[in-house]
Amino acid sequence: MKWIIVTGDSRGVGREIAYQILNETDFGVIGISRTSEESADELLVKYPDRFRALSYDLANVEGVKQLYRDKIHKIGPIYGLVNNSAMAYDDIISNLNIDELETMFQVNVFSAMHLSKYAIRDMILHKTQGSIVHISSISAHTGYKGLSMYAATKGAMEAFSKNTAREWGSKGIRSNCVVPGFMETSISSTLTDEQKKRIYQRTSLKKETGIASVASTVLFLLSDKAKSITGTVVHVDNGTI
Amino acid sequence: MQELLDIVNEMREEAGKSTIEKLEPSMDLRDDLELDSLMLAELTVRLEDEFDIDIFEDGIIQTIGDILIKINGK
Repeated sequence: MKWIIVTGDSRGVGREIAYQILNETDFGVIGISRTSEESADELLVKYPDRFRALSYDLANVEGVKQLYRDKIHKIGPIYGLVNNSAMAYDDIISNLNIDELETMFQVNVFSAMHLSKYAIRDMILHKTQGSIVHISSISAHTGYKGLSMYAATKGAMEAFSKNTAREWGSKGIRSNCVVPGFMETSISSTLTDEQKKRIYQRTSLKKETGIASVASTVLFLLSDKAKSITGTVVHVDNGTI
Repeated sequence: MQELLDIVNEMREEAGKSTIEKLEPSMDLRDDLELDSLMLAELTVRLEDEFDIDIFEDGIIQTIGDILIKINGK
């Protein structure tokens, strides 16, 4: 059995992605999140052979190598990686706090790149034509007050993904991004109802983006159905304009 | 040395190049063995799997001799 790593699998979109992979494919899921919540336990009960929950704080970039060598590598060959974990440090630029900014880049960018490194190395070793999907954000494409720094982390990953696709395409390894619009998840929980309403009014469908729709797009990009798709971004954002 | 030769030859065959009879410590990975950056990446992960050492982690590796020093000196 081959495995798909899903970061931030304990809640929100990550949980839905893990659930859909387990429910609709034969792959195993290696969930990486800071906290092992009830959702992970539920999946462990339902899929004891195909789900592994690893507790790890992705703010610790240096430890990713050991995480791979000591734990992930021993579980089995990697087919896919979904870089979904993210922290949102939102503020206007004139208030920029370097410590907060560095931590956000460690989680959203450096650890995501490090996990890509080890996923690709694993794919090379096992000659796996694997698939990497990064979860980006609509904020990297449409400006929002207070999200410039968060958006910068997502823009970095989109550029990384396109170049990953070019670099490893000859080995059959694909890399794509899914760009969700605003969803009702913990990452947008600091927004007021009024702010959310204004954001949703900017979308064609005038509402929040569906979590299941984002997850099923990730599943599609992971699957063989998307075998000719690499180096691109797929917007799942209710038509944000 | 035989394991190293097998890996190099397997990669060379996949790239449509002729196999090599014998490796010499002086052989340059890029110039003599014609390994490109992706082939060197494959060599790295296969050696890491075999010998539990990342040959390119700290420093430049140019020749077969450099690899042998890394493997024997770990």
